[in-house]
Amino acid sequence: MELFDNLLLGLSTAMQLNNLMYCLIGVVIGTAIGVLPGIGPIPTIALLLPFTFGLEPASSLIMLAGIFYGAQYGGSTTAILVNVPGETSSVVTCIDGHEMAKQGRAGPALAIAAISSFFAGTVATVIIALLSLPLAALAMKFTAVEYFSLLVLGLFAAVILAHGSVSKSLAMVFLGLLLGVVGIDVNSGAARMTFGVPALADGLDFVPVAMGMFGLAEIIANLERPAVRQVVSQKLRDLIPSRADLKAAFPAMVRGTLIGSALGVLPGGGAALPPFTSYAVEKKLAKDPSRFGKGAIEGVAGPEAANNAGAQTSFIPLLTLGIPSNALMALMIGALMMQGIQPGPQVMTEQPELVWGVIASMWTGNLMLLIINLPLVGLWVSMLKVPYRLLFPAIVLFCCIGTYGISNSAFNVWLMLGCALVGYFFIKVGVEPAPLLLGLVLGPQLEENFRRAMQLSDGDPSVFLTHPISAFLLGIVVVLLLAMLSPAVLRKREQALAE
Amino acid sequence: MTQRRFDWPDLLFGSFLVLVAAGTFAATWKLSGGTAANMGPGYMPRAFALVLLAFGLFFAGRGLVSRHAGIERVQLRPLVAIAVAVGLFAFLVESFGLAVASLATIIVAAVASHESRFFEVIVFGISMSAAAILLFVKVLALPVPVWPW
Repeated sequence: MELFDNLLLGLSTAMQLNNLMYCLIGVVIGTAIGVLPGIGPIPTIALLLPFTFGLEPASSLIMLAGIFYGAQYGGSTTAILVNVPGETSSVVTCIDGHEMAKQGRAGPALAIAAISSFFAGTVATVIIALLSLPLAALAMKFTAVEYFSLLVLGLFAAVILAHGSVSKSLAMVFLGLLLGVVGIDVNSGAARMTFGVPALADGLDFVPVAMGMFGLAEIIANLERPAVRQVVSQKLRDLIPSRADLKAAFPAMVRGTLIGSALGVLPGGGAALPPFTSYAVEKKLAKDPSRFGKGAIEGVAGPEAANNAGAQTSFIPLLTLGIPSNALMALMIGALMMQGIQPGPQVMTEQPELVWGVIASMWTGNLMLLIINLPLVGLWVSMLKVPYRLLFPAIVLFCCIGTYGISNSAFNVWLMLGCALVGYFFIKVGVEPAPLLLGLVLGPQLEENFRRAMQLSDGDPSVFLTHPISAFLLGIVVVLLLAMLSPAVLRKREQALAE
Repeated sequence: MTQRRFDWPDLLFGSFLVLVAAGTFAATWKLSGGTAANMGPGYMPRAFALVLLAFGLFFAGRGLVSRHAGIERVQLRPLVAIAVAVGLFAFLVESFGLAVASLATIIVAAVASHESRFFEVIVFGISMSAAAILLFVKVLALPVPVWPW
């Protein structure tokens, strides 16, 4: 059994003492930022990236992945206890989770959320392991032509399935692609749009861009809104859910896991779509839909399972094809490249310990999360008492130091400042910055593959349609775009994404 | 939101894209474009800029004809305070060291919020600077001067 061998190899990597430690650091940081509203995983991972440089590739990815799914756990704690979603993925958990807390059932709600997440995480790990091999085998047959089409599909699908206006997000993708080609052109050695700045010769670093647009711009926008955060005061007793609770929650958990796993693989599926879909499904299937919104335990179990499964399966396109499905995965690509690993299907065969180690670490990480979240929930809740007026200057400082640390240059700090101002502008005009980050990371790959494909075909663009796999991938793009133009689909999408 | 003459978010975003596209053309006009089979360094930037130009004109045009949305008022205090705090850090860190830069950044950033209290910010700033030096310089070995001397 190749699969079994692979998982065993992965487990042996993930169980190494130092990797277990990095996994623990990752999930603890993840839970912390998940609990705290106002800091998301994107700026946190961007902040830590420069310091993963000295680690082994597997350790660094294990830690960064831990931050990502740890944040999902932490986010639901805040959602249930304070009715403020710590992360976008836990918006739905607020509805019934907080209602349960109000009825004095905060303990079971937290426990069910954690158990659902753990269950989903375990199943998703197996799904990743199962899907990775055939996908990677398929991807090995790809030439520059197919790869270009795949990148195009990834970018378009990410935009269509994510939040916000499709046309504006597409424009943001192109803006990101344009920023991605800044720097020395690899083929001719000519400096492009560097404006004579030597620090730009290697291209725009995405860490300052991500921290400026996601970290600092968010802070500025947050400070404009009046602060409303009620302090939690609830005794947490009876963490263990009753047998009836478990019985009611289990089917929802399974359905949520399946929904999350399927949607997570899709580009753009990431964190937001799975929990919403799962909640809608549970409500439709329930014998008495009116219970939803009044503390239905299925309304916690389903979405929680879905968001965790989705978070994990969104690693599949990254690990097998080397394309990120959302802005966070784009940062992971950045982490790989910092380690000198070119992301793509070859990573699976060349660095099996890395890929399978990361996959197996998700399971150990989920186990750790279960332990650090349930008995220690009180500790996390007390973190909520840190007021925002102290939190945000600290975040600003850490962003500055982290950005400076990438290459010890003050230039990156100025770049981050510029991106923060542009990011603030984007928030004001209501445009999502995430597609820009995707474009920025994928820009150089897209250009390189397009150039190679064009060289192969002697400048004939029809090559993308004569290669069957490529034509199929581009066909999906066309179908998606046409579907977006149809008013019925548009309305459904608005409903599904409405918060 | 009040009725406005234009759809300001669309108009501003569109104009922004047009500006970026124009800037790209200006910055790459010396680079050779080449042909599709043998691309020069200017080929892709100009291709992307063309798309951005089209998007920009579309949004700007749509913003001019439709008339609903305004933009939430820009509050200067957080914007300026955070920008100055980050700028100060970039300006101070290499010549005055991490200790001074961190303290300055925290104090100026705190001005962004109405709720900040003077003594609390000073104490918090000093302890955060100490923590930052410990974490980044001592533990993570970031090569940066700590003191101005």
